Amino acid sequence: MEWNPETLQFLSQCFLHTLSPQPEPRHAAESSLAEAADRPNYGLAVLRLVAEPSVDEQIRQAAAVNFKNHLRTRWVPSNDLNAGPTFSPILDPEKDQIKTLIVSLMLSSSPRIQSQLSEALAVIGKHDFPKSWPTLLPELISNLQKAAQSSDYASINGILGTANSIFKKFRYQYKTNDLLLDLKYCLDNFAAPLLDIFLKTASLIDSTASSPGGGSPATLQPLFESQRLCCRIFYSLNFQELPEFFEDHMKEWMGEFRKYLTTNYPSLESSGDGLALVDQLRAAVCENISLYMEKNEEEFQGYLNDFASAVWSLLTNVSQSSSRDKLAVTAMKFLTTVSTSVHHTLFASEGVIPQICESIVIPNVRLRDEDEELFEMNYIEFIRRDMEGSDLDTRRRIACELLKGIATNYKKKVTDIVSLQIQNLLISFATNPSANWKDKDCAIYLVVSLATKKAGGTLVSTDLVDVQSFFLSVIVPELQSQDVNGFPMLKAGALKFFTTFRGLIQKPVAFQLFPDLVRFLGAESNVVHSYAASCIEKLLLVKDEGGKARYTSADITPCVPVLMNNLFNSLKFPESEENQYIMKCILRVLAVADISSEIAGPCIAGLTSILNEVCKNPRNPIFNHYLFESVAILIRRACERDASLISAFEGSLFPSLQTILANDVTEFLPYAFQLLAQLVELNKPPISPSYMQIFVLLLSPDSWRRSSNVPALVRLLQAFLQKAPNEVNQEGRLNQVLGIFNMLVSSASSDEQGFYVLNTVIENLEYGVISPYMGNIWNVLFMRLQNNRTVKFQKSLVIFMSLFLIKHGATNLVDTMNAVQDNIFLVILEQFWIPNLKLITGAIELKLTAVASTRLICESPVLLDPAAARLWGKMLDSIVTLLSRPEQDRVEEEPEMPDIAENVGYTATFVKLYNAGKREEDPLTDVKDPKQFLVASLAKLSAHTPGRYPQIINENLEPANQAALLQLCGIYNCQIV
Amino acid sequence: MADDSPASHRRDPIKSSVGNVAAQRRRQNAVTVGKERRESLVRAKRLCRVGPSGDGDVPGEENDMVTDEEGFLLDAQTSSAVEDLKSAIAYQGKGAMQKRVNALRELRRLLSKSEFPPVEAALKAGAIPLLVQCLSFGSPDEQLLEAAWCLTNIAAGKPEETKALLPALPLLIAHLGEKSFLPVAEQCAWALGNVAGEGEELRNVLLSQGALPPLARMMLPNKGSTVRTAAWALSNLIKGPDPKAATELIKVDGLLDAILRHLRKSDEELATEVAWVVVYLSALSNFATGVLVKSDAILLLVERLATSNSLQLLIPVLRSLGNLVAGDSHTTSTVLIPGHEITDGVIKVLVKCLKSDHRVLKKEASWVLSNIAAGSIEHKQLIYSSEAVPLLLRLLSTAPFDIRKEVAYVLGNLCVTPTGGDGKPNLIEEHLVSLVQRGCLSGFIDLVRSADIEAARLGLQFMELVLRGMPNGDGPKLVEQEDGIDAMERYQFHENEDLRNMANGLVDKYFGENYGIDE
Repeated sequence: MEWNPETLQFLSQCFLHTLSPQPEPRHAAESSLAEAADRPNYGLAVLRLVAEPSVDEQIRQAAAVNFKNHLRTRWVPSNDLNAGPTFSPILDPEKDQIKTLIVSLMLSSSPRIQSQLSEALAVIGKHDFPKSWPTLLPELISNLQKAAQSSDYASINGILGTANSIFKKFRYQYKTNDLLLDLKYCLDNFAAPLLDIFLKTASLIDSTASSPGGGSPATLQPLFESQRLCCRIFYSLNFQELPEFFEDHMKEWMGEFRKYLTTNYPSLESSGDGLALVDQLRAAVCENISLYMEKNEEEFQGYLNDFASAVWSLLTNVSQSSSRDKLAVTAMKFLTTVSTSVHHTLFASEGVIPQICESIVIPNVRLRDEDEELFEMNYIEFIRRDMEGSDLDTRRRIACELLKGIATNYKKKVTDIVSLQIQNLLISFATNPSANWKDKDCAIYLVVSLATKKAGGTLVSTDLVDVQSFFLSVIVPELQSQDVNGFPMLKAGALKFFTTFRGLIQKPVAFQLFPDLVRFLGAESNVVHSYAASCIEKLLLVKDEGGKARYTSADITPCVPVLMNNLFNSLKFPESEENQYIMKCILRVLAVADISSEIAGPCIAGLTSILNEVCKNPRNPIFNHYLFESVAILIRRACERDASLISAFEGSLFPSLQTILANDVTEFLPYAFQLLAQLVELNKPPISPSYMQIFVLLLSPDSWRRSSNVPALVRLLQAFLQKAPNEVNQEGRLNQVLGIFNMLVSSASSDEQGFYVLNTVIENLEYGVISPYMGNIWNVLFMRLQNNRTVKFQKSLVIFMSLFLIKHGATNLVDTMNAVQDNIFLVILEQFWIPNLKLITGAIELKLTAVASTRLICESPVLLDPAAARLWGKMLDSIVTLLSRPEQDRVEEEPEMPDIAENVGYTATFVKLYNAGKREEDPLTDVKDPKQFLVASLAKLSAHTPGRYPQIINENLEPANQAALLQLCGIYNCQIV
Repeated sequence: MADDSPASHRRDPIKSSVGNVAAQRRRQNAVTVGKERRESLVRAKRLCRVGPSGDGDVPGEENDMVTDEEGFLLDAQTSSAVEDLKSAIAYQGKGAMQKRVNALRELRRLLSKSEFPPVEAALKAGAIPLLVQCLSFGSPDEQLLEAAWCLTNIAAGKPEETKALLPALPLLIAHLGEKSFLPVAEQCAWALGNVAGEGEELRNVLLSQGALPPLARMMLPNKGSTVRTAAWALSNLIKGPDPKAATELIKVDGLLDAILRHLRKSDEELATEVAWVVVYLSALSNFATGVLVKSDAILLLVERLATSNSLQLLIPVLRSLGNLVAGDSHTTSTVLIPGHEITDGVIKVLVKCLKSDHRVLKKEASWVLSNIAAGSIEHKQLIYSSEAVPLLLRLLSTAPFDIRKEVAYVLGNLCVTPTGGDGKPNLIEEHLVSLVQRGCLSGFIDLVRSADIEAARLGLQFMELVLRGMPNGDGPKLVEQEDGIDAMERYQFHENEDLRNMANGLVDKYFGENYGIDE
């Protein structure tokens, strides 16, 4: 793309139209830009447009965004095949020109364009800096010095922002010589100018702040932003280790750091935005001193006392204030680091821990307006933070981390003080419950958060309170409160306590509260009914010693109708339509309760109506998964009890399943096939005609095209082959089944599935039915063997041949193979069966192949022929390896083959339904021990021709295997003569 | 950046869930951005205030503290001393030689007077060309000595001041030769040592001008003070990062023997300087390491470690030992054979260092142990059954961060055997179980929480061992008890892909949500 007036015109028009509210011109412009982006020098042209002062600012902004995204996809093209479409990369000459232009352009542009170009620069820097872009740092530094002379803070902050992004890699990459070389280069060049600008800005702040009125916010703002950026760069440059320059100038840095923690800037801090700006600088300072405290504590030691007291008094103020989260969190993290370091004695003196607890921990744990807002507005996020540990950076959590940190060295003190605080909070609540309810919440939060988790996550303990009495006196009153909607956060806290300490609450106490839990499912608050559901669900999982469930079906069955009713009703609350906690509870109840037909009926109706609803727009995969699991377990358990229910289930479910199939709801297809398989298996032959319609659908190659469907389809096909072998053999259906086998087995990514189909056919159909097809089947397999023989395929082939032999005899196996090509059997045996046999894994597979191989050498005339003695010996050698050595000694993992799916862009994946699962069946129930079978068969065989086999064994088996075989003979008291 | 694609944060499937726990020897990074720790103990540049051979004036009675006023006075005196020197050189009459020496001595006295010599004033007044002139061949020894002394103290100044010596270097090197009066040669070595201490650029100049061989030859005799100065200058000269000088040095005839002799017999002060030479030889040059390992060096280092209590000496000796262990597998495979006396000796001195109060010794001793622990099963058993383990376990929970990290490498290495390729390491169950029972897991989990990503990786690798290797499937319970899940979850969206995959993979594999009924 050449830079000329036409290009300028074309690009300006396009970018203008991308801003159009009308979809047509917008789409047209977007597609012409996408097309132009493939041409060389497109990026350069867009960058020139950004720099063109005559062009409207709005257009240049759009161009700057486009430029950044262009670089992001094309500066270094992704190697990841799954990452989507690949773009043609930007060529080197264009890159060089862009690199020459971008710094000065960025610095001279307006703030919005500057921020886009700065990000674009960071994209380049990520790949090219420093080695392929040696001019960048000198250019930045000379511009920085120029801008500093004229106190041009727009440019200074632009440069510092850029430096900050290109140095970030030092914060997360491993310390290698290459990284250290890059770091050294940056330090040698940038450390001194950074300190210069930092000190210069510091003195500007000092003089401005000490002027009458404390200086105007407009003057101070860019200065504080500049200092913050310097602090972030400090963090990056100091992350790997303490650089010499910074050690030599620690005093200068630390002096200013301390100033920002201890000084107030009233003219800025009087406004919310201004305070946020100063706090951001303070938070950055806290991160820096935490880093020093953790990694360079020896060099930092001299400053520690001052900083500890500065942070402490800062926190005392910040803790009282509602916003200022980030600062509170980073400051508390600093104190936590100190508390667990070798300098923890700072906390040892009398009165320090109580003060920290009172003036820092408690105020930060207390609920704030933001928490209440989140509780009401975004219950999912609230639960994630409150219950599921995504609260790493919340004030409440970090305050508790600080207590835990102090407790590593002063456990007794912390326990005593916190217990006392908890008592005080509860007393305060008791004096005026409706005004002081947050005190009680705070007490509950402390107990729950400071509890120690024990094994398995179900047992927790605490030294702070006596759990039993705390539960009875503090928690139970909340749970028994008749108004399920009053003080919902307190109710949520009580439910969380119950859930957390469920293992410690004795059964009679907990059981008595069960109706209350059921009642809270009707609370309007999403958090409260979710917690109630979660509590019930977790209670049903509690195990007593010995692993027996504490709450059994007899315990809950009486209240199941009400419980189910409330659960389904709570799914009607706004925003809880797809509440995963409730659905998981439904699943758990269905797993435990006795499923009588009185319960099954409403449940299946309820679940199918939800199913029909979510089919329209599958959104929450976790909810949907529990939904399908619930259906599956309901079918399984109800029909186990009463087989006659099956037709009722079919009646309710079929329409939904048909909708899924007919509308091709891709996310749900694997589930639908698994449920159908489950239903087919529960049926007694003859199978109903409605299933045969699905069978027809199953046989269409279209269904198999999506790889995510294949495992579920195989499962369904297996069900049909087992339950309706006769129907399969009609109307050419077997031919279609084998066609599917053929398709699957020809690709390395699906060949295993292909063998599942084939094995099911071999296992379930009479030999007379399949024999006409065998020639064809062998042809397909040999072809694949010729074209692409992965180890996985060869192993599957050995398993298939073994299964065939077990089901239909060695003679049929040998004859059908040799019918394809003379003597091919022995070739396959020598080249594939014998070498791959020792790689077989899995108990059932191992037994199957060992027994089949044993039978082959003991029954098959081909192998008993004296001419085949060597092969006979090698086969036995392989069998003994298989049976005598542990898996890891004989199997080497094949490197995984990248799976190149044909259906790029399809995202649904196969997720197995646990409750619709099929038990693995052992095709060889009459043989228990393959080792015994081997030696017994050999003993019997050798008895006919004494002396012949010991010699073959001697000549063909590895010495270790000869010894192993001898040992086996000893164990089972058999002799090979 | 705000709109980073979510793809970069997705949980990638983990391939081999966790790689080797350190299982190879770790050399210290060749590139360093940190301050050279040696400087706090032994300055890279040294001021010469008392003549090397003990003569000259002892400035003992003078006050070291120089006030601004005195500084100003000193500068003025220096300028006039340089002027005097200039006229003394110009003077050709009777007693010219004595006049020159007197002027030089006056200048040297001024430059030796305080901790902050008036170098700037001397340079400004044009001292260097005069001093170079005074170094010319055939000059009397006393004149050479005084001139070299002046240059020594000028070179001890700021980087630019050191650089000012460039015109003097060829003559300073020339006077190192065997024919020179010994105190002169030693004073020249001192001046050159200061120049070499300045940095890589000046080191390269010195090397190209041939400073190394004569300095090396000065180490051969048994003359205490000369050898000490030469050793110190050499340790500065071979600092690299290019290993060439170190390799060249070890190849000098008789040098290895001299090093061994000094290590065996000399006083602690000299042994310290020689040990620093060994530190740089072994840190930089594989060739030198190979030569040293096959000599008695290890034995001598161990003896020094066992008998000395001087921190100044112990640090370079311990680091030399560590370099020899880390740098050449020969050391662990054929010298430190378990069962041999020397091996027991090494463990014993390392235990001594672990017990010391000084953190550098504890840290370096742990580093050495971690490299020995990366050796054979027998090495691991030897350390495991030594007195070191209880000390290490205590350090893991109480020591400052940098020591804890080194200690963790030792303990981690004790629990695995190296495997070929990139497979997961095999476990030594007995060691793992016992160390975990003695409480080391929480120390490793603390490392996972640290800001240091190497330490975090080590912590995760150890957690993987526990999860995989503790009998009866106890691993997950233990990790959970120590709040390990929480520690791993910090990496869920970490920018370091490797750590992210490791942590997420472990959480998924051992703590993944079980949808099933038998949760």
